[in-house]
Amino acid sequence: MNMLKFAAASMLVLGAVSSAQAADKELHMIQCGGQDWGGSFAEKHIGEWEAANPGYKVNLEYLAWGQCQTKATTLAAAGNAPALAYMGSRTLKQLSKNDLIIEITMSDAEKATYAAPILGTVTAGGKIWGAPRAFSTKALYWNKGLLKAAGYDGEKGPTTWGEMYEMASAIKEKTDADGIALVAASFDNTMHQFMNYVYSNGGEVINADGEIVFNSPQVVEAMEFYGTKLASVAQPGPIAYDKAKARPLFLAGKSGFLVGPYGDSARMKEVDGLEWAVGPMPHGPSGESGTLLITDSLAVFKGTGVEEQAVSLAKYLTNPKNQLEFEIATGLTPLRASAEVDAMIATDPNWAPFIDIIPAGGPEPFATDYQGLQDAINDAIQSVVLGEATAAEAVEAAADALEDVK
Amino acid sequence: MNALDGKANYFPYLLLLPALALTLFIVAWPLAETFRLSFTNSSLNPVEEYVGFKNYIKIFGGKFPAVIVRTFYWMFISVSLKMLVGVAGAMLLNCAVPGRNLFRVLIMPPWIVPIAIGVFIWSWMYNGQFGMISGIGQWLGIFAGPFEFLAFRNSSFYATIVTDVWVGTPLVTIYLLAAMQSVPGDLHEAAWTDGASRFYRFRRITLPLIMPAVATMGLLSAIWTFNSFDIIWILTEGGPRGSTTTMIIDTYKTAIARNRYGEGSARAVMIVTFLSSFAAFYFYMLTRFAKRAMNHGEPTS
Repeated sequence: MNMLKFAAASMLVLGAVSSAQAADKELHMIQCGGQDWGGSFAEKHIGEWEAANPGYKVNLEYLAWGQCQTKATTLAAAGNAPALAYMGSRTLKQLSKNDLIIEITMSDAEKATYAAPILGTVTAGGKIWGAPRAFSTKALYWNKGLLKAAGYDGEKGPTTWGEMYEMASAIKEKTDADGIALVAASFDNTMHQFMNYVYSNGGEVINADGEIVFNSPQVVEAMEFYGTKLASVAQPGPIAYDKAKARPLFLAGKSGFLVGPYGDSARMKEVDGLEWAVGPMPHGPSGESGTLLITDSLAVFKGTGVEEQAVSLAKYLTNPKNQLEFEIATGLTPLRASAEVDAMIATDPNWAPFIDIIPAGGPEPFATDYQGLQDAINDAIQSVVLGEATAAEAVEAAADALEDVK
Repeated sequence: MNALDGKANYFPYLLLLPALALTLFIVAWPLAETFRLSFTNSSLNPVEEYVGFKNYIKIFGGKFPAVIVRTFYWMFISVSLKMLVGVAGAMLLNCAVPGRNLFRVLIMPPWIVPIAIGVFIWSWMYNGQFGMISGIGQWLGIFAGPFEFLAFRNSSFYATIVTDVWVGTPLVTIYLLAAMQSVPGDLHEAAWTDGASRFYRFRRITLPLIMPAVATMGLLSAIWTFNSFDIIWILTEGGPRGSTTTMIIDTYKTAIARNRYGEGSARAVMIVTFLSSFAAFYFYMLTRFAKRAMNHGEPTS
């Protein structure tokens, strides 16, 4: 009899638990990187959102950088999309065109919290398709010791391409180091690096009307500078280098310049005896100093039944207060200006070139086939670096290829 | 039919059902689906349409034929080197030298180490500034300065082959070593008594007797090498300028990176077609060796 009572009680308890669980609607969220990448803050904010939204439970899935985006996209294509996922903003146009994600509506007040070009990284067809979550700009680092050895004072970096090339040449000639750590491998960072020069020379890949304008004189100049002039004073064989391999060259004092994000400064501080400084990207003959603005976003997928809650969660995670906590924890460039960011710059002036440049930055090119766009631009860069095409020929060929992927 | 009582016995077929279901589920269905997708414009767009042979026409009108040729060349060089080094390694490991068992163990790490880790180490060894190979080359006076193996079309192509050979040779060696150990010792003793040299004995005794194993391993190695993805992907992602893009890399880029599932499936069908011919040839060879062994009473491998 006791056994019967125990079994009945167990069934009741199990039933109660099951029905409580059944009442909770699940939001499957895919986050790139491990728990150690700002995860504690993200989880804290998710907990707060859950407390404010009873009946909804977030199933947070951490995935490695190399597979998170592919998994989210594949799940969506297979009709089993996550509620929201951390995605490179460059993918948003493709996802929106295929009707896989929904628009993130923002009030004017919400939009005003971002510097104008930042929302350009998530906007296509006049609509915002993701809530910016991670942000990066680039600046030019230089090795003060090598510049001094090459005959410069080392405190002041180059402001124009002419000065940059002159200094890099002097380093290459007068020291054992190379002028710049240049990347040209078949990886996404090659295109990213090149775009810093395009935006610092008034060029574009796709204009506001959606037309390919890659074959402009400004882009040809940028290609000539990157693929011919800089390659001639860089380490031998830049095609073998992605950013993970180029950075050690600078850290080891083997190159005078490195273009990188703020995060690289943390690594430089760890190297004893490395004297370095950082400043805005030098500008070309046809433009002003600029940078590539790269964002990753929280995208909300269609057809999950919890779209409204997913938008609410994305907005909660990226509201000014929570986003700043996440940025400080991860060392990302802040998305918004604030008193805390001013204090951050005051504490570490190295932040200034990464934040002051934001209004002059340009977004990652938006294409319906981002991989195709990246391959076309990387191929153009490699053809010039290998001496198989002139800058003008390479840019023209890439522009043709880009017509198929825009 | 049960021979004793004349009733049909379905029990053995029932036992086969789980295996059949599993095969249908994990092999036949994905294969059929790949064939079907290859005739569609399937992409991220949930709506897909049948496009006939358009995907096949498109891939053969582009760079794909060059990719096919490159794949076969890459496979041919890599498998040839694996077989050459494998035979030589097996011969050395078969010699009666002190510490032979230790050497047999030491040859295995390239095959045991996770490929991603091994290839990542190779990517740094190929580095001109920090890598060992360029450093030794400069020390020997072969290179005037740092040489970047992954920066140029030809050097990166052969660098990926060398790494593939490094990964694939241990298995070939161990397999052929096992075959050599099955060669009867009295044949060698008799030949030695008759004054046959070491090379003559290898050419006229060892090699003919291990030939079934060499052929089997060569074909299996060709199948694995044809589909070798991670080595090229980690080292070059198919660059520079597509010079290391093989069929499997091209298929991955099209189907997964660019989400063009229809076009990617057409490429995958081409791979399946080639690999099926290899497999058919492999089974033909196996049957032939088995028949010959039955006729002559020889071991098959």
